[in-house]
Amino acid sequence: MKWLDRQRCLMDFTLSCVWRRKGKNLGFLLVYTLIIFVVCSVIFFSNALRRQADAVLHDAPEMIVQKMMAGRQELMPLAHQEDIASIRGVRSVEPRVWGYYFHPATQTNYTLIGRKDFRHGDDAVEVGQGVLRTWGAVQEDKLYFRMVDGKALDLKIAATFSAATDLVSADLIMMSQATFRRLTGMPDQFATDFSVRVRNPQECTTIAEKITGIVPGARPILREEIVRTYSALFNWRSGYMIVILSAAILAFCISAWDKATGLSAEEKAEIGILKGVGWGTSDILGMKFWEGMTVSLAAFFAGVIGAYIHVFFFSAPFFEHALKGWSILYPSFRLRPEVNLFELAVLFFLTVVPYTFITIIPIWRVSVTDPDLVMRQG
Amino acid sequence: MRRSSIYLGFSLSCLVALGFLCFIYPHLSAEQYDRVLAEQKRVVRDLQLTDLCLFSEARYTRNLSQADWHAPFQDNPMAFDTFPSGSLVRPTVLLADDTP
Amino acid sequence: MILSPAIIALEAGAVLAAGYAAYASAMAMQIIQGWDIASGSEQQLLLEKKTYLISTIFAWLMAYQIISLFLFSYTAENLHDLFVGAMCAAGSLNVNDYGYPTLVLKAFNCLLCGIWLIVNRTDNSVADYPLIKPKYKLLIGIAVLLLIEAIFQTTYFVQMKADVITSCCGMLFSETEETVAGGLAALPSYPTKVIFYLSVLITLRVGIHHYRTGRAALVYSLSAAWLLILSIAAVISFIAPHFYELPGHHCPFCILQREYHYIGYPLYLALFTGGIAGLGVGVIDRFKGSPSLHAAGPLLQKHLCLLSMIGYMLFAVISVYPMIFSDFRLEGY
Repeated sequence: MKWLDRQRCLMDFTLSCVWRRKGKNLGFLLVYTLIIFVVCSVIFFSNALRRQADAVLHDAPEMIVQKMMAGRQELMPLAHQEDIASIRGVRSVEPRVWGYYFHPATQTNYTLIGRKDFRHGDDAVEVGQGVLRTWGAVQEDKLYFRMVDGKALDLKIAATFSAATDLVSADLIMMSQATFRRLTGMPDQFATDFSVRVRNPQECTTIAEKITGIVPGARPILREEIVRTYSALFNWRSGYMIVILSAAILAFCISAWDKATGLSAEEKAEIGILKGVGWGTSDILGMKFWEGMTVSLAAFFAGVIGAYIHVFFFSAPFFEHALKGWSILYPSFRLRPEVNLFELAVLFFLTVVPYTFITIIPIWRVSVTDPDLVMRQG
Repeated sequence: MRRSSIYLGFSLSCLVALGFLCFIYPHLSAEQYDRVLAEQKRVVRDLQLTDLCLFSEARYTRNLSQADWHAPFQDNPMAFDTFPSGSLVRPTVLLADDTP
Repeated sequence: MILSPAIIALEAGAVLAAGYAAYASAMAMQIIQGWDIASGSEQQLLLEKKTYLISTIFAWLMAYQIISLFLFSYTAENLHDLFVGAMCAAGSLNVNDYGYPTLVLKAFNCLLCGIWLIVNRTDNSVADYPLIKPKYKLLIGIAVLLLIEAIFQTTYFVQMKADVITSCCGMLFSETEETVAGGLAALPSYPTKVIFYLSVLITLRVGIHHYRTGRAALVYSLSAAWLLILSIAAVISFIAPHFYELPGHHCPFCILQREYHYIGYPLYLALFTGGIAGLGVGVIDRFKGSPSLHAAGPLLQKHLCLLSMIGYMLFAVISVYPMIFSDFRLEGY
């Protein structure tokens, strides 16, 4: 109890000291908070996206088989469908017919999908919300395409994907397979690739190996690989951002060092007087410990809460530009709020730990100054 | 009032707020997000999609896992890229595997 | 090399920690050579001031070590989906030869830092610093180990290549494997339980004896050390499977996960508290011969002994909890 009381008194004293130099300390606190906010936003955002990708892609086809020729992707002949379906353990093989469409007026890339069992007939499309937002001249619910032979084709918007699925469907334009082939000129006996469903997911690798033996130039892509790719992608992306931000963290550490070493004459006199009236070295250390602790904690809380609101309530508007690049179309999505201790620990390690370590030596220097030395100077 | 009480009160309320945001709010809003997720999964399963629609600026950034091996600037994993998001996207594991 | 924020954080932390430990050991060298409590020279005064710096550095290093130990295992857990075949931290630690050694070193350094702080506390509690030289020799040893740890950890992360096929924890801890971890899993659960709880009881009995009479400090310390090792074996053998309610799942890392309500954190923290304080009792006992420690030493030992017993008791209670309050029976299989 006595120990606790003592720490409280030290804290009281420290807070008064901090408060007396409001301007300087608040400025420092602001910079500290900002650093934590940015780093924390990066960590929250990338992890939330990573979890989202993991969850959503869980239902992707177990395997996609592309055809490669001379190192380029080729159309997949439908003739191979039977060959793959006859492999033991394969439940179904379905040709996927899809491609990209560049809309010159808005400079946007869209994804076209041709469905065999398209409900709305040959002169209609079903589009994502992003298409509605960006296509520009949506007149009377119609989209005008330029076909492969240069002729115009107008298709009616029969339905739209719900806004909730924007993260996967924002730029999709779905139509019947016949329309797709007419629009893009893809021959009838070809598809873009195959999606393969497998009975036992554990056998994927074996089946993939067999497929490469049967179909010349086949390139199977497993769902596990895709999920892993996304994991690596977000890991790498956030790591890269941190590396870029490390310059800022370093600058911040230098300023913290500078703040702790370059004490004003007033502060030095204060320490000298404290030692003069009987404070020991460990008391000064304790006081300085509380000074660092109060500032770090306040910055940490403010930064983390700010980042949480930024990422999960406002979908990280500050990062939108980096993600968007030159693309016109950007999905609107809200990330599922989920934070674990691990992310907070990483954040703590990236910000508070360097700050604490950097300030150890300057603080010690201050705390061991002899009172007479300081007072004589003052 | 003692300054330390004010500060401790502030820290405690921040801690409570953070605890609420990290541990309670996700549960409260779970139903809504579960519904969205179920919807997204349905679309993915139905249309046999393989990628998120995050970077639609170029073919090979739109469908990261389905990219051509010889898309411009993509041959060398660390090569400069024309598209901004290309500088952020890591060469896929598939590609990294293939380079000796 | 995989670039993720956690890896950057761990690496930056390791560099800082190793750097500060090296700096502290340089000063320790000066203190070992130049220390002379009787002298009032400027040199001696400076050295006395430096002891404060070293104590502060190590207090922070200790805090750092504990967090970094958990962060390291959690990072391994977090990275497992980059490796084919890795189901959890046990798999990703196995992707190259440096994963497990780094983990063991981290835990060991944690123990050593704790013991150093205890010795430091003992030393500072009396006026004439009787333990100053052994204390700083130990410090140099710890600094070397921290440096090795930093090198191991860096090598582990640098050599890590996404997608290497690794044995997942299901395979690694399966009874037939010949690895160290596999050997621990092969400890049959029932006898291990009996030995573990008997050891807990014996340790507590010795602890109470020591607390009341002040004797048998070394015996308590030895039994605490034995219990520390046995506890880790027990976690792998039966405590973890009870929390998972899966007889074949022996992984000691998954209990740190949210699915198991982060129960691993209090479990391991209690274990470390018990272990460090228990070892501290024995270490102080070694220096009891010093005349100035005659009064302060035993008192500190008593406090440590109590702390250690509380730690082990907490550990035992947490480990018993799922056996009592769940229908799962490990021996039925």
